[in-house]
Amino acid sequence: MNVPKKMKLFFLFTIVVTLLLSACSSSDTNGEKAEDGKVKLRFATWDVGDDVELQQGLIDEFNAKNSDIEVVLEAYGGDYDTKITAGIGAKDAPDIMYMWNYPQYKDALEPLDSYIKDRGEEYKSNFYEALWNYNSVGEDIYGLPVGYTTHVVYYNKDLFDAAGLEYPQAGWTWEDLQAAAKKLTNKDKKITGFAFPGQPDPYDFEMYLWGNGASYVDNKGKLDGNLNSKKSIETFTMFQNMLEEGTAITTEGWGDTEMKSGKVGMFINGAWYLSAFTEAGINYGVVEIPAFGNNPSASIVSSSGIAMSKDSKHKEAAFKFMEFWTGEQANKARLSFELPVLKSVVESEKLQEDPIKKVFYNMLEQSEGYTPTSFVTEDWSKLSDELSLVFEQIFNPSTRVDPKEALNSVAK
Amino acid sequence: MFTKKNKPKKFTLVRKRVPFLFILPWIIGFIVFTLGPLVFSLIMSLFDWPIAGETKFIGFDNFKTMFTADPQFYDSLVITLKFALIFVPLNLLVALVLALLITQPIKGIKIFRTIFYLPAVVSGVAVSIIWGWMFNSEYGVLNYILSLLGIEGPDWLIDPKWAIITIVIASAWGVGTMMLIFYTDIKGIPYEMYEAASIDGAGPIRQFISITIPTITPTILFNVITSVIAALQQLTLVLLLTGGGPLKSTYFYGLFVYNNAFKHHELGYASANAWFMFIIILLLTMLIFKSSSAWVFYEAEVKKERKGRKRK
Repeated sequence: MNVPKKMKLFFLFTIVVTLLLSACSSSDTNGEKAEDGKVKLRFATWDVGDDVELQQGLIDEFNAKNSDIEVVLEAYGGDYDTKITAGIGAKDAPDIMYMWNYPQYKDALEPLDSYIKDRGEEYKSNFYEALWNYNSVGEDIYGLPVGYTTHVVYYNKDLFDAAGLEYPQAGWTWEDLQAAAKKLTNKDKKITGFAFPGQPDPYDFEMYLWGNGASYVDNKGKLDGNLNSKKSIETFTMFQNMLEEGTAITTEGWGDTEMKSGKVGMFINGAWYLSAFTEAGINYGVVEIPAFGNNPSASIVSSSGIAMSKDSKHKEAAFKFMEFWTGEQANKARLSFELPVLKSVVESEKLQEDPIKKVFYNMLEQSEGYTPTSFVTEDWSKLSDELSLVFEQIFNPSTRVDPKEALNSVAK
Repeated sequence: MFTKKNKPKKFTLVRKRVPFLFILPWIIGFIVFTLGPLVFSLIMSLFDWPIAGETKFIGFDNFKTMFTADPQFYDSLVITLKFALIFVPLNLLVALVLALLITQPIKGIKIFRTIFYLPAVVSGVAVSIIWGWMFNSEYGVLNYILSLLGIEGPDWLIDPKWAIITIVIASAWGVGTMMLIFYTDIKGIPYEMYEAASIDGAGPIRQFISITIPTITPTILFNVITSVIAALQQLTLVLLLTGGGPLKSTYFYGLFVYNNAFKHHELGYASANAWFMFIIILLLTMLIFKSSSAWVFYEAEVKKERKGRKRK
């Protein structure tokens, strides 16, 4: 009899201790002042390696200039979303954080409209217009743009030369791309003209629909009549046809591995691979995404911004730092790995004359006014999962479902 | 008399406290990092718990949704059980065979021992990335080797029929730990037993079946249980190697829970999912333990039995 009773006591004791401890852990660590009276700000970044060192250097500069503020960098790396999520959930979010998926986090973020208004119209208009769309949800701005990339066509110059083809030019069409892909494809040498992911990210894929005058949803978030519209089905059918003809392959990752192997003529992605391809010794060029007929093509923007936690205790100080972090000096400091978002920096650094970088800016200007479905619909993460599965069914060789049927199954 | 009676009592009290003091760090760690989150997640499972915003008590609604309104729950459960069914026996077999191989007294066996164990030291993330390259159907090493043999390799990571096999193969990479446990146990079997058996005319296969296997059944039990648990909790590989694809054919239960929590931000629902898996694992483990009296052999048991018989 005695032993079970003791066990019970022990169990009870552990539960009590547990609850006590969990109660203590949620105590407020935000907004604490450093011992010397400085305002302490926590700043979370997703960058890794050398980039973090560069960021730390910039922060040191800021801290030296602002004697009343001390910014502490927290580099979360690959697990960024998990850690941010956990931090927000535990009411212990960093004051300032890198952000791109605003709809997902908007309830935990501080709207910035009033702060931006205080800085004047010119402050706002110096950023590329298209980027504000990606740093807002609905009418409210939640972040300041830090960097971005649009998507462009990378093409392998050596393969084009070998096939006796001219390099693609801005204003080309999907018909031109398909014709080029056909000529590039060489079964004996295992060379394929075009490659795209077999499991495309629905967030990215919408840009092809935009280019054809379609989108997943209308501005009320309705799928039926949009995702399964004639233009949308036409777009998917075109991609599927390229696979059937053998002039395109699906890739297992994003396609960069295949591109690096030198066996793929063209693939579409963001600016992330510029240096990797150079290192791999691929003689490549970039060009704007082809158009459907006369419609100018559009690109999804993969943007990064910084946002402020709603629970931050030092909002003015936080915004001061955010202003510094998105200012001209910081934009220039990141030039080696990030495309500047300020018009004044693009001008002073003459990026419009850079044969590669200018393509990304052209795509950015062409993509103004498009809003990704993830910013319109309520439950994007679920819809994205459904879409992803359907896209895979359309492109996977073991299924190759008719696009019309597949898209209807989600839309209706 | 009085002092004599008191002394041992005080002694036992001290003796009771001191060991607890020594394991205190573990107890604290257990409460803070294991029991605490465990209890907390049970509470969470009864709430609608988004990342940001208000949490709301909803009773057993999470469990109701799970059982009645989420087909992915059943799909993931079936896939995971299927995986465990292939993975556990195969893993045990491979580990046992390897363990037997590395007990052979041949030259350079230490090198093989190290090689076989090495993959177990590599982190799951690195394993996933490496296998991602190996399995690539166009440029992967695996299909290249198969093509040298005149076999056209399957689209490992694209064909849903092959995907689960792919994960099994990649998981088998971690077989080293289990092999090591088998190895130490086999090494511990007294040589005289084999000697006696061979004098009686038993060949190596007979010896293996009648001596090795019965002696290591406790180890087999341990390995079955740990590998069942590991199989049902598999996450790293599917998260990094396949992302649940192709066509959700590797959307394991672990990934289902992970995505519900960190992608869809439904922490309460994910906690409910996790607790259901906890119960399944608990039941399975109990079942295996129950069955163990039928097939696991303990030396101590035999001795007791003999003693009992003598008394009669």
